[in-house]
Amino acid sequence: MENYLLSSNVTGRRTRILLVAAAVFVVASVGTYLAQGNDRRVTAVLIYLTGVIIIGALSGLRLGILAAAAASFIYNFFISEPAFRFGLTSAEELVPLVAFNLSAVITGGLAGRLKDSERAARLAEAHSAFLLRVSDRLQQSVRMEDVTLRAREAFPADGVTDLEIFVVRGNQLFALETEGDTSPVLPLEAIVALTDGGAARRDFCAFELNGSGGQLGLVKFLLDRKPGAGDALPDLQGVANLLSMAVDRCMLLERLSETRALQRSEELKSAIISSVSHDLRTPLTAIEAAASSLRSFSDSLPVQQREELLSTIEEQCQRLNQYTANLLDMGRIQAGISSSQFGDVDVLDIVGVVLGNIRLNFPDQKIEKRFALKSALVRANPAMLEQAIFNIVENALLHGRSIDPLEISIHGEGKYCNLEIFDRGPGIAKSDQPHIFERFYRSEQPQNRRGSGLGLYIADGFVRAFGGAMAVVSPIDEHGGTRMIIRLPLLVDLSNVEVEP
Amino acid sequence: MNILIVDDEPSIISALRPVLQAHGHVVTSAADAREALVQAESKAFDLVLLDLGLPDADGIDIIAKLKALGSAVIVLSARHLESEKVRALDEGADDYVNKPFGIEELMARIRAAQRRQAVQQGNREDAFASCELEVDFVRRRVVRLGEEVKLSPKEFELLEVLCRNVGQVVTQRKLLIAGWNDPAADGQYLRSYIALLRQKLEYDSSEPEFILTEPGVGYRLAVTF
Repeated sequence: MENYLLSSNVTGRRTRILLVAAAVFVVASVGTYLAQGNDRRVTAVLIYLTGVIIIGALSGLRLGILAAAAASFIYNFFISEPAFRFGLTSAEELVPLVAFNLSAVITGGLAGRLKDSERAARLAEAHSAFLLRVSDRLQQSVRMEDVTLRAREAFPADGVTDLEIFVVRGNQLFALETEGDTSPVLPLEAIVALTDGGAARRDFCAFELNGSGGQLGLVKFLLDRKPGAGDALPDLQGVANLLSMAVDRCMLLERLSETRALQRSEELKSAIISSVSHDLRTPLTAIEAAASSLRSFSDSLPVQQREELLSTIEEQCQRLNQYTANLLDMGRIQAGISSSQFGDVDVLDIVGVVLGNIRLNFPDQKIEKRFALKSALVRANPAMLEQAIFNIVENALLHGRSIDPLEISIHGEGKYCNLEIFDRGPGIAKSDQPHIFERFYRSEQPQNRRGSGLGLYIADGFVRAFGGAMAVVSPIDEHGGTRMIIRLPLLVDLSNVEVEP
Repeated sequence: MNILIVDDEPSIISALRPVLQAHGHVVTSAADAREALVQAESKAFDLVLLDLGLPDADGIDIIAKLKALGSAVIVLSARHLESEKVRALDEGADDYVNKPFGIEELMARIRAAQRRQAVQQGNREDAFASCELEVDFVRRRVVRLGEEVKLSPKEFELLEVLCRNVGQVVTQRKLLIAGWNDPAADGQYLRSYIALLRQKLEYDSSEPEFILTEPGVGYRLAVTF
């Protein structure tokens, strides 16, 4: 058990004092004896007196009086004439005895008082050191649960075995527990009931916690019931004050983060609404215009224009489909993607599927492939991985220049597979780079205002769910260019796996 | 073909009906699972186009009954529900089409189902022939664009299953049973053999054109006739 208040070498110090006092006494006795032998009686008495004063000052009242008594006895019995006999025949014999004892009482008393105040100072120092330690710990707590956890680290100490913190929520007191969900609940009146009788109880001591907004809760210090254990209780009121401050701070932080979360969800809601109204309306407008043109003017329109209107309808339907898929995927990321939907997936296989789609949608696009691995097995949801890679490639195609080839490379790096998609477009502005993976983020540059602002967010969300990470390097050189890197943890390297013949 | 469309959305039915009829099919519709079963029991359908989100039941629950009544089943499912597709295929569905779909894609799936049904009704085919690929199941010979390709026995078994289901998705499970007689066999074997098959059959195995991956579901052999 850690004990901050009583120093562990108290007994050692006592023995040392005792030894020194005994030595002083012996030296004084010998000195007195020698002086008496040389017939210098005053010197002899003074030597003895000095010894007693030293012992009294050194070791306090009790040892001082003991030394005085011993000195009286030895002086009277062995040293003063007649030797080996007690007697108070003259004032000359009485005065040294009175002097010995009186000086012992005075110096011992003074020394005792000094020692008491020294002890009080040490105790106060220990108390404040203890409070400082508790305060240090509490400062690290940001959540309410941490307060109990951190405060508990300081205990057991000095007769306090543990503590419990209850906070006011509504009109009940809830225990701030870290483990388990069975938090004991007390009625609000417990604050008054428990704190009032605090001193009278043997097994605990309770204090009210108060903060800037009034009553915060209650702290219960559980006391050690062993006798003598609670002799030097730490400054519990001080600890309670510190706890009040910590709980108050955490409550404010909690309220602040709630407000922020609410604000964020409001922001998200309005972002979704503005995105939905824009990204759904635009294709719908185009479809409606094309369809109604076809109905009203189909006879007067040349074949080529009819074809164009029909392609518009198809394209815009695809855009709507992609957009709703994006919204769904965003919902899946926000809800959290469970790894129960994951399987062993070969990144090369999925890249093959994506390239098939890209060839359909961008038939004229040149694509350069550099695959350093024959296979790259990762743990992922295959359809989500396909979507993530598709989004990155599509993004590169939309922002790159179609006359330049798009480069796709796959290579291993330690335990990771790096899939890199490199376009020779103008690059991504440095000011945009920190935000490109954010929901609904669209660059201010006019050529980038197409798209829903969800593609990269979804790619990043999926890749993270697979334990991977995304990175962007742009520009590559003075001509611009962007390199998007999808990094995924590899399961095994297929090139080492034998295939049976 | 006699086709039953099961979908609670009238606009889907009214969009599909004229196209299918124009292709010479006879179209009946049902708005929920109960009506679908009543229809299927009263009349033999060659094909059921089944939406899985029905108002009165999960479409997957009636797949086995529809199959038992002799219909081929193509499931209409949302893109992101791979596990639902796999479950429907395991229940006996022949194929699936992601919603929303282009009519070309749907017609291709219907043709594939029709081809398969024609084969099942006649004798088991001894050979497979498309523009790109000829496979003799008896002599175990494979000819790719006029050139013979040597396949290991396991590669051949997998290719045979894909050919016999040409144009239709074949689940991993089905392929594992075909190749290893064990649906719980390591998917890694299957991936390795598909990779070998692609190396032998594809122009560029990193961008397959014949043996396509359906992520999370299985593989599909895409050829032209």
